[in-house]
Amino acid sequence: MTKILVVAESALRELLRRRSVLVILLLLPLAFYLSRRGDHLGQSIRFVCLGLGWALSTAALFAGSAARGIEPRLRLSGYRSPHLVFGRLLALWTVGVLLSVPYFVLILVDQHDVRYGAIALIMALTVVVAAPFGLLLSAVLPRELEGTLVLLTVVGLQMVMDPADETTRALPFWFSREIGTYAIDHTDGGYLTRGLIQGGTFAAVLTLLVAVAAAVRLRRRRHLRFA
Amino acid sequence: MNHDAWLAALTGELRRHGVGPDLTGHVVAEAATHLAESGEPPLAVFGPPQAYARAVADSLGGPDQRPPRRRPGPVRLAARGITKRYRGRTVLDRVDLTVRAGEIAAVVGANGAGKSTFLRICAGLLSPDTGTVQVDGALGYCPQDGGTAEFLDPDEHFVLVGAGRGLSRRAARRNGRAGAAALDWTPPAGTQARHLSGGTRQKLNLVLARLGEPDVLLLDEPYQGFDRGTYLDFWHEVWRWRDAGKAIVVVTHLLNQLDRVDIVLDLTAQGERAA
Repeated sequence: MTKILVVAESALRELLRRRSVLVILLLLPLAFYLSRRGDHLGQSIRFVCLGLGWALSTAALFAGSAARGIEPRLRLSGYRSPHLVFGRLLALWTVGVLLSVPYFVLILVDQHDVRYGAIALIMALTVVVAAPFGLLLSAVLPRELEGTLVLLTVVGLQMVMDPADETTRALPFWFSREIGTYAIDHTDGGYLTRGLIQGGTFAAVLTLLVAVAAAVRLRRRRHLRFA
Repeated sequence: MNHDAWLAALTGELRRHGVGPDLTGHVVAEAATHLAESGEPPLAVFGPPQAYARAVADSLGGPDQRPPRRRPGPVRLAARGITKRYRGRTVLDRVDLTVRAGEIAAVVGANGAGKSTFLRICAGLLSPDTGTVQVDGALGYCPQDGGTAEFLDPDEHFVLVGAGRGLSRRAARRNGRAGAAALDWTPPAGTQARHLSGGTRQKLNLVLARLGEPDVLLLDEPYQGFDRGTYLDFWHEVWRWRDAGKAIVVVTHLLNQLDRVDIVLDLTAQGERAA
């Protein structure tokens, strides 16, 4: 556990020292929120949640890419790949919570007649899904530009596609639209359940895939034997 | 410059000029006694420490080229039949290397001869097409570049790598700073790695590889960016580690230190054979 915490602490320090990136990350969801604030209050909640997901996924993508240089050394220094993955995830989840709290407070102050608990749930699921999603992209697309373009595509599709379309369920943040409908339009619990299942499944699968990708990349090669 | 600072500077300069530890201790003790008795400022008596050290080294007929060798211990690293091909080209062809505790092996060769590839295979970071590597003990690895986190300062690096080795925060910082001092470097608190010069970052890289006292050290041209003094400090450290029973593999393209190592693996000749 100590090793996970030390990795988390170091990753958190690295993230918090990228001040200009942090400011952009903090303002990006606000831009999403304000874009629909004037004409459709409910839609602005859906958009701010997508903005949070995009911001945190991008942070995770860059954190994952930046860590590639030092991770082999850490592996040789006695860390196992789960220490590195879960340490980094812990740091990103912490940043995600810090990023979400001001927006939840904003919605509390600015929006009425919505289910606040469900909105908190969307934000929590967004944080849990976005961090491994960005890390997974950094694992399979080592160049940051490619990863950023994929993120842009996913979030863009998420915004423009009709959530009722079955294929949109394959997108990682589909749950935010579904639970958002439950929270804003006061629909039945089916929306909440479907969103929870999709979000929970994506969180579990993405986290597992990140752990597997790191285990493969940082595996002890078979030719190396310790006496 | 007060007595202590001048004597400390003299100690470092004598070491850089290849004067052995016993003689260095003797010269420094003699100078200290003279300064204490005379009460005169050291610069007035002996001049700058660099010049005095040079004069002492010259009077000895040049640097001590051959540090004492000790009987090597058990085999720590045994690479057998390492073959690696890239895009149809054989980079390494059945390479063997055995390094015992208390030995230094230098891996030399032209650019593209596969030196770094061989070291990465020894570290287990890259798989060979054929061959095995047997390691007895913990591995420390200093890559040619990378290996540090841009936004962390040296102390934070020591804590991060040290935790992997099972060191407490305090022990990791203490060991890291002691390793840095041996390279004549005082890590600046709060300065992130991205703000360090290339040579200083390599010092950090080297100190990290050594943290936790691994039994086998794999160093991939670790002296890139070092000035001459630090380069000499580096080799003195390598010899000290060897004398402490470590097995060391150094990738190098600088041949002037080869008479001071125990084993030379020349991959140029090996590459020509493969071609």
